[in-house]
Amino acid sequence: MGLTYTTSIDKKPTLKSRVKSLGRGTKQTRVVRALDDINLDIQYGQVLGVIGTNGAGKSSLMRCVAGILPPSQGRIEVFGTVSTLLALGVGFNPSLSGRDNVLLGGLAAGMSREEILNNFDEIAEFSELGDAIDAPMRTYSSGMYARLAFSVAAVVRPDILIIDEALSTGDAKFKEKSLNRVKELRSDDRALILVSHAMQTLRDTCNDVAWLHKGKLVQRGHPDVIIDAYQEFLQLGKSAVIDEDF
Amino acid sequence: MSTPLQVYEPFRAGLPKLGRYWKSLWSRRTFIKEYSKSELREQHFASFFGQLWLVLNPLLLSGVYFILIVIIGGATDSSRYAHLTASLFLFYLVANSLTGGVKSVTAGQRLILNTAFPRIILPISAVVIAIFKFIPTLLVFLIIKAVVGSPFTFEMFWAIPVLLITIFLALSLAIAISCINVYFRDIASFLPYFTRTLLYLSPILYEASALNPNLRLIEIVNPLFPILDSWSRALVHGEMPEISSMLQGLAWATGIFFAGTYFFLSREREFAVRL
Repeated sequence: MGLTYTTSIDKKPTLKSRVKSLGRGTKQTRVVRALDDINLDIQYGQVLGVIGTNGAGKSSLMRCVAGILPPSQGRIEVFGTVSTLLALGVGFNPSLSGRDNVLLGGLAAGMSREEILNNFDEIAEFSELGDAIDAPMRTYSSGMYARLAFSVAAVVRPDILIIDEALSTGDAKFKEKSLNRVKELRSDDRALILVSHAMQTLRDTCNDVAWLHKGKLVQRGHPDVIIDAYQEFLQLGKSAVIDEDF
Repeated sequence: MSTPLQVYEPFRAGLPKLGRYWKSLWSRRTFIKEYSKSELREQHFASFFGQLWLVLNPLLLSGVYFILIVIIGGATDSSRYAHLTASLFLFYLVANSLTGGVKSVTAGQRLILNTAFPRIILPISAVVIAIFKFIPTLLVFLIIKAVVGSPFTFEMFWAIPVLLITIFLALSLAIAISCINVYFRDIASFLPYFTRTLLYLSPILYEASALNPNLRLIEIVNPLFPILDSWSRALVHGEMPEISSMLQGLAWATGIFFAGTYFFLSREREFAVRL
């Protein structure tokens, strides 16, 4: 499959330039080939890590698989229910309390009211917010916000779960907790797709890694092999900073 | 391998599978309600009066027109004031649906880019918010009606089908305009002028029967004209509205609904790219 779209470029968004361009009837545009001839097959039981530099097309690929962006070429076939964690706190309203946002975020993720209420205690406990769950979310720190948002998303038990760099939020303790939750979700009747820049996380969690670069699939295979090749490509030495596990 | 649950192919303008779409939309009805409530709560969040504004707004609006019609205009006919208030409140149900609907898709960018769901939820939520704002105005009007001594009759129940037709029209307009705004953002800037014009072309500041015969074209081309006339007849004058007026309003609402919904549903897969 492939994904191509056109964006308009307005170099000088001033009134004068707009009046001039109206008269000429021209518009500057740029064609972006976000994904180019990607061929991927992901089976149940696989935990696929997706790596690549910024702008490689990782998030675009996740959005295509989730049905959010239609591909421009090719076809995507999905066998199962998909849940996404592409951004934390989608559907949340900062004016409401954490408790109310659990309901809102859960509903936005496709859960029913009953499912959310049945899992509320688990969500609250996982988030470790305590009494703060009844305070407005606008009073939360970014870490508290991220913890609650992840707790809501992690409760969903879909056939296919897509996580896009959401594990990099929160403090070290919460990162470990959320990673353990992701590991719990690994099973033969579920597929996980994990986009992350944290190489050690991917080595520990995934059984398969795909490397994207400028919209193309460069390589796919065992995590250690692919990640080593990727790091060599970037001419990076081994360190905690590069592994982004700090 | 078994049949895929979902197949995503390149976007081509055309309707999605309506049965599946409706099922997905129905399963999200709780989200529509909660999302609308949360948006409404946020609108007056930081203010002193908070949600009391839902009642204060119609009261103050009514007060402004009381000054205009009764004190400055010197009108002694209380039914004129009642007609204006009732018509204005119903008009604002449509106007608020338009104002909320026009930016519903573009403002829901974060949801659209990160979650797969029927996008039509967004303009529907805008209309639900407008309905929540309308309900207190109805209560305010009934109090005004009692104060001015206007009679309460069983014919007032004809206002219910008129209200349903209005909601249908408001929903149709919100769906259409929300989709247009994705492709032509200037429409949000044109909208205030359009709604202001619509207000003057509708029987709000005047009764429908008082319209100059030379301007009867307005009755035909303005979808709100027959609806507001029916509303005033039922609610203010306690009379049965003309069936032809109600059918005219329903025809407008149905036509705009099918055209707007077709446009929206055939284009919604492209929204994430456009945004």
